[in-house]
Amino acid sequence: MLIKIIFYYLLGYVRIVIEGYYIERFINICTTQKIAIWHLKREKNVRLSLNIGIHDFKEVAKIARKTKCHISIQQKKGFPFLLHQYKKRKIFIGLLILICLSIGISANFVWNIEIVAENEQMFEGITNDISEAGLTIGEWKPKINTKEIINQVRLKRQDIAWMGIELKGTNAIVKLVKAEAKPEIINEQEYCNIVSDKVGVVTKINAQNGTAAVKPGDTINVGSTLIHGWIEGKYTGLRYVHAKGEIEAKVWYTKSKKIPYQLTERKDTGSEEKSYSLKFNNFKINLPKKLSKFQIYDTIEEERKLKLFSNFYLPISIVETTNKEQTEETKNLSPEEAKTLGVEELEQELNQEIPDQEKIVNKNINTYERGDSLEVFVTYEVLETIGTNEKIVF
Amino acid sequence: MKKKLRKIDQLLEMPKEVYSNEPKITLIGFHEMIIENFKGIIEYEEYLIRINTYIGIININGYELKLENMTNDDLRVTGKLESFDLEPNSEEE
Repeated sequence: MLIKIIFYYLLGYVRIVIEGYYIERFINICTTQKIAIWHLKREKNVRLSLNIGIHDFKEVAKIARKTKCHISIQQKKGFPFLLHQYKKRKIFIGLLILICLSIGISANFVWNIEIVAENEQMFEGITNDISEAGLTIGEWKPKINTKEIINQVRLKRQDIAWMGIELKGTNAIVKLVKAEAKPEIINEQEYCNIVSDKVGVVTKINAQNGTAAVKPGDTINVGSTLIHGWIEGKYTGLRYVHAKGEIEAKVWYTKSKKIPYQLTERKDTGSEEKSYSLKFNNFKINLPKKLSKFQIYDTIEEERKLKLFSNFYLPISIVETTNKEQTEETKNLSPEEAKTLGVEELEQELNQEIPDQEKIVNKNINTYERGDSLEVFVTYEVLETIGTNEKIVF
Repeated sequence: MKKKLRKIDQLLEMPKEVYSNEPKITLIGFHEMIIENFKGIIEYEEYLIRINTYIGIININGYELKLENMTNDDLRVTGKLESFDLEPNSEEE
């Protein structure tokens, strides 16, 4: 029954009212002529309402005339009537088709590039390289040759161990795996020198193989030889070897910073205002309320891409601009305060650079007056083992 | 001849409503009645329906009677059914 109703709904049906004295005869003729009628209801003595399919209406009208009944349509139902209703609304239909078409067309382009990596900061400039290789926002999807792009990017960069591009909807997912940077390995058999890789003063030198080139107390530069890769014997003459040994040196780490005596500090007051703008690729439409009422403020922009489903990105994005009100405070620092502030900041920076805190031998702090500011120098003396292998080239 | 055909059909265990013109009346609850093998409608009012079959007339009494579904050989009556009676044709006996 439900299937029948759906079937008639698709074909369209009408509810008609029959008025006359020969209603029973009308029904009988309908059944003998195999016209499907349903939901018959006797309303008054001379009235009957029933449903018929629209393709039978002409036949039914003929029968009604034969039985001297008056026929009138009460209701039109079904899909063909619905379609007819929307025929008059041309703009509506036109826009509907336009929207469907634009969604269909825009589905063939890449509107978002997502980079998935363990640590995205490690791949500096990867977005540029990818776009240069041919994967850009707004690119036609069938034109993208993922294999070629991967090859191009990998040729350009040494730090990628594996790369994959997946096109999902309008979203291109680029997956990257970092390659470990490996030092150049020099064979044990090959002749080599040991050279310095830092600037410092030698404190200890112990040549296991080869000839020491420096003494403790010597100042060394980057690149200067520490242990020569040869041994001179009385009888054997000059013999080349694979130099080996341990060199300990005092290395200096210095950092400087200018601290002005007048310091302006910015603080958030807590009040903020938001404004939105629409963005199509590079074309931006500002929604009202653009000028900020705050005098001093910090602006944070956040771009959000619109998407239909999880991977169907649209070429439209909403830019949310948040203005945070701030107040400025001027602080006057005494030379002592400026010094402690500078030392604190520099020590923090240096501590991050030097991994082994226990090997710090000495700390040196120097300050110089520079008009309205104070320049602070912090120097760390660190004991380190230095030296790298360098092949002897004949 | 007719009687012989009937016996063959009975042997084959065919449903009766298929080989004969006898109506099959199904009553579902007190609100729905399905009549198969009907000939036509004699009278249709909100409170009374008279249905002609090949062996007689079926009278259905009730309130708010509706002819829900009509095809060439079956008919569904819904509404508050109260009673129904049968009027067999005299020449059939």
